[in-house]
Amino acid sequence: MRIIDLLKKKSIHLNASPKTKSEAIDMLVDLQVKGGNIADKEAYKAGILAREEKGSTAVGEGIAIPHAKSEAVKAPSLSAMTVPDGVDYEALDGEPSNLLFMIAAPNDGDVHLEVLSRLMTILMDEDFRARLLGAKDEDEFIKVIDDMEKTKYPDEPAAVAESDTGYKVLAVTACPTGIAHTYMAAEALEKAGKKLGISIKVETNGSGGAKNVLTKEDIANCDGIIVAADKTVEMARFDGKKVLKTKVSDGIKIPEDLINRIEAGDAPVYHHEGGAETSADSGDDESFGRKLYKHLMNGVSNMLPFVVAGGIFKAIAFLIDTIGGAPQDKFFGSHFAASAWFMTIGDFAMRFMLPILAGFIAKSIADRPGFLVGVVGVYIAAQGTTFTKLDGDVPSGFLGALLAGFLGGLLMVGLEKLCDHMPKALNGIKPVLIYPLGGLGIIGVMMCAVNPIMGIINNAMNNGLTSLSDNGLEVLLGIILAGMMAIDMGGPFNKAAYVFATGVLASQTTASFKIMAAVMIGGMVPPIAIALATNIFKNRWNEEELKNGPVNYIMGLSFITEGAIPYAAADPARVIPSCLVGSAVAGGLSMAFDCTLRAPHGGVFVFATVGHWPLYILSLAIGSVVGMLMLAILKKKRTDA
Amino acid sequence: MVSKVVTVCNAEGMHMRPAGMIAKLAKEHPDTEVTMKANGKDIKAKAIMQIMAAGIKKGTDVEIIANGGNEQAVLDEFVAMFEDGFGE
Repeated sequence: MRIIDLLKKKSIHLNASPKTKSEAIDMLVDLQVKGGNIADKEAYKAGILAREEKGSTAVGEGIAIPHAKSEAVKAPSLSAMTVPDGVDYEALDGEPSNLLFMIAAPNDGDVHLEVLSRLMTILMDEDFRARLLGAKDEDEFIKVIDDMEKTKYPDEPAAVAESDTGYKVLAVTACPTGIAHTYMAAEALEKAGKKLGISIKVETNGSGGAKNVLTKEDIANCDGIIVAADKTVEMARFDGKKVLKTKVSDGIKIPEDLINRIEAGDAPVYHHEGGAETSADSGDDESFGRKLYKHLMNGVSNMLPFVVAGGIFKAIAFLIDTIGGAPQDKFFGSHFAASAWFMTIGDFAMRFMLPILAGFIAKSIADRPGFLVGVVGVYIAAQGTTFTKLDGDVPSGFLGALLAGFLGGLLMVGLEKLCDHMPKALNGIKPVLIYPLGGLGIIGVMMCAVNPIMGIINNAMNNGLTSLSDNGLEVLLGIILAGMMAIDMGGPFNKAAYVFATGVLASQTTASFKIMAAVMIGGMVPPIAIALATNIFKNRWNEEELKNGPVNYIMGLSFITEGAIPYAAADPARVIPSCLVGSAVAGGLSMAFDCTLRAPHGGVFVFATVGHWPLYILSLAIGSVVGMLMLAILKKKRTDA
Repeated sequence: MVSKVVTVCNAEGMHMRPAGMIAKLAKEHPDTEVTMKANGKDIKAKAIMQIMAAGIKKGTDVEIIANGGNEQAVLDEFVAMFEDGFGE
């Protein structure tokens, strides 16, 4: 309960000259009414007069504190008056009063006593009283009180001065998952602002979209903006303002420091350039790895819903066919109208996975102009289009998507820089025509150039696998095929392994069934290994990854390797080797145990047709545990976002 | 020097009127120095502002210390005033 929270500027009257006590009371009551917390003026005044009847509230030292607790008071408030010549307030010591505070308190609670106590505590200081009497205007009067309260009560948060010109400091917080750290940083900044007595407004760019969005007026009137974000936030609006860019964890750890730096003017003026500058590619103290992570996570978190929803739809399709007793052939999962519907819709959702991943990575790097490049780039990669074969050859999958996202984004940044040299008159058509047109051209050429390389890799692998199979090196073949399934989860390696397996399956030999079994197990291990690791080694993952962990059991058991992609994309250097080793172990074991499989997909739903199925399950379990242990060893314990 | 601990029993606590009563009583006995200890503060009974500044609520224990003059009688007067709830 601070005095300055209760005392409004319009309730202060400096250098008044009431002739009598009754006139002084009238003036103070009027000031209270102006403050707006008095519901019934006459009832309140009656309360004040009744109190004065019992004895004057002039306590000596020139101070008078008329007060009333009343039903007529909506909320506690103060009015104040200085009377340089003094007024006879019937003080006990007979001296005139020159410093008058009137308290209005609601009927319930101890607020009256607390306000009285505080007023007295600060008013006992003679210098303070002199400064109040000498105040030139209402602002100075309030400042004198504020300074005194800060001295007397140093431990409590300072008042946030209500200012007509809006917030002094603005902030935007954002983290890749947008679940916890965004809001923790916002809270820390708001608390620090209160403590420092600096008004602050914090926009949170969380998973539910931006909240408490900064308005144009906010931005125009502020001293500076703190951007505490580990992902891209809308930056163009801050053009020409002082902007302090930092990590979201700084918002949590050193909020006061950040606010003080803004107030001290210790932040560079931000200049927005052609949509390319984002919070992500500036900030000198950001390491390359950190930026990479930020872009990646921007893509991954947008992709996740597609994987989860689509994957579960497909699993439902398999389940329906299993219950319905459909034959476990290559149409398994689409034998009934219902299962076919789930399979188709689920597949549609999953087709968007990679375009969304690359689109948002590129958008994170190059802002809006990058989005088109990423999305279309992946589509070209997925089709496997080359200059000579426009209808597609070999899809470059997940790795191709990462390539399209990152290279596409960087190329767009380059294109934007190039366009800076164009005549200013063309500025208007840059974002609507030149960037999209140039971007599409660049990404088209780039991906068509990359795809044949993917095709060559694919063919080479196909030939290699055939020769292994021909030479009877079955266990080695199992290890390699299963490992390939995990290495790029839908890219050329995975495709080569899968196509090879389904290709030989047509021959309906025992050898082909064994190959199919190894391939499927290789595709099942990664999601299961990740799900296990999120359950057992929780400190290796962020909140979003932990939440999605259980879904990966379903993904893995349904042979939907894509469930692992979000995890692999976020940390490829550690997740892919782990999955690869786990899958390779499972594939080798499956071959060694002579397990066979006649259906090209279906996961756990077709296990009934697997030859030596108990050993097959054992292989899957061992591979998954190996993958999980690898993840536990390779992934660092998390300390922070 | 004599002293006694009393508990504030009137609902409103030591607001301005009780504080005024204490100060007035203290001034009536200039030979006896009366101080109070409450909320970790030392308060001169004569200083009405100090009493109010301490913000003593109902239920707070206050130690009253009287020193010099007819100290026991003065202390009893103060204790009686507290126990009476300042007439409230």
